[in-house]
Amino acid sequence: MVRHVDPQQPDECEEEMVLSLERDQLANDRRHPLPPAYIGPRAHVALWTLRIFVLIVGAMVIYTFCAQL
Amino acid sequence: MSAARPDLTEQDNPASQLTSEDVVREHDRSRVQQARGRRWYLLWLLAGPGILAMLGENDGPSMISYTATGAIYGIGFFLPFIVLTFVMAIVCQEMCMRVGAVTHRGYGQLVLERYGPSWAWLAAGDLLFTNLVTLIGEFVAIRVGLTYFHIGAGVAALLGVVLVLFTLSGGRYWRWERIALGLALFNGLFLAAAILVKPDLGHIGHAFTTFSPLPQGSFNEILLLLASTIGATVTPWMVFFQQSASADKGLTPSDLRQGRQDTVIGGVVAAIFGCGALVAGAALLGHGGGVNGFAGAGFPAALGQKAGGTVGTLFALGMIEAGAVAILTISASTGYAISECMGRSSSFNLTFREAAPFYSVNILVAAIAAVVILIPGVPLLSIALNANVLATVLLPFTLAFVVMLANDRQLMGRWANNLRTNVLAVAIVALVCVCGAAYGIDSFLLQIHVLS
Repeated sequence: MVRHVDPQQPDECEEEMVLSLERDQLANDRRHPLPPAYIGPRAHVALWTLRIFVLIVGAMVIYTFCAQL
Repeated sequence: MSAARPDLTEQDNPASQLTSEDVVREHDRSRVQQARGRRWYLLWLLAGPGILAMLGENDGPSMISYTATGAIYGIGFFLPFIVLTFVMAIVCQEMCMRVGAVTHRGYGQLVLERYGPSWAWLAAGDLLFTNLVTLIGEFVAIRVGLTYFHIGAGVAALLGVVLVLFTLSGGRYWRWERIALGLALFNGLFLAAAILVKPDLGHIGHAFTTFSPLPQGSFNEILLLLASTIGATVTPWMVFFQQSASADKGLTPSDLRQGRQDTVIGGVVAAIFGCGALVAGAALLGHGGGVNGFAGAGFPAALGQKAGGTVGTLFALGMIEAGAVAILTISASTGYAISECMGRSSSFNLTFREAAPFYSVNILVAAIAAVVILIPGVPLLSIALNANVLATVLLPFTLAFVVMLANDRQLMGRWANNLRTNVLAVAIVALVCVCGAAYGIDSFLLQIHVLS
């Protein structure tokens, strides 16, 4: 389910209902994978930087914890 | 709401394609549709994921952290700081609820499908690790509470696992949620304990209006308590849990108002109860316990001696509740995350056979944590305190994807983040990064004797 935005039309009206469930709430519908999103090169670099930062700080915390045992 | 069209053939008729999961969810949603216009009943039906995420995070390690803060620094800076961190939690959790309600998919599934398996498994790996450590902390909390009543660790381990098995046995999200909510109400025992220690209301008012007195003492210990207080209110498991639970409950964009109310109510109530734990802990100011000085029966026994047996009993029961509710929510978040990243079905509305990975992981992580607390000599209190710090350190990575998903206009349409939410979210990610890094780097440099 990827929502295509139409500012002229409220999104609620786009939803087809199956009894009390929205169509894209059905288990079979949710099993269809969504198309992958595009991540730009800058976003890629930012994510990997954050990942490495988190791992380094995490390793420091774990080392300190183990050393203090 | 429109009924399935009778002129369609069975193959074309969407109602004939309903799975058992859909049938159960449709039952819950039909009650919601009938409740439209009845404000309080509608809120009662739709509330749950937000309150559970917030009260679930008032867990054993968090309450130990708040109480330790009160016992060491008394009523001061950390009291309004707890409220501030819950405001941060509300901003983050509202985004998760919104993404879950609009996309009907959990966090793990969305990251997997939109950003690929590498990012999804990295996020799930962080979650699995922090959840296992935190779950040990939850069993520690139950053990601390039961020790006050002279009951051993074996019962604590058994109680936690049996509770998980019992709540999973119903095959319905609604049943699981209402049992967990019923238990979570007892988080209010911390507030009752705070009232019974008869705190000075003038001190509390002064702390809230001035953020003072500021904490004195070791810089590293202050950083530890700052990081663990943040980790006590905003954590990776809450992100996975609230988004997946919102989707599992069947929230839709038309329920966003109630979803926000659920999140805010949860945040406010959890902040009050968390402050209650700190205020109760402040009765131990000058007790000389230190962060690690309350091992064994710990805080309940110390409070019992200082403020009377009733306070000790309430606090011990509160610790048991805090651990028990968090075992349910954290196990559930692990089950959701792993099965979503595997591309498998994950819902409480499915039977064990239909969602074996979801249920198996749910039970397995609780069982592993239960076994750990039975190992003699394991530094349980230290694990409990460090669980929150570890959550703080790993949180920015999880939050980054929440912000990306909530800004994904292809997914979210007109429910994507606005500028104000983005500014708040980026500020929160930056603050969490700084606090986690400050403690991690300072501790490391102290440990290798670069700092004295």
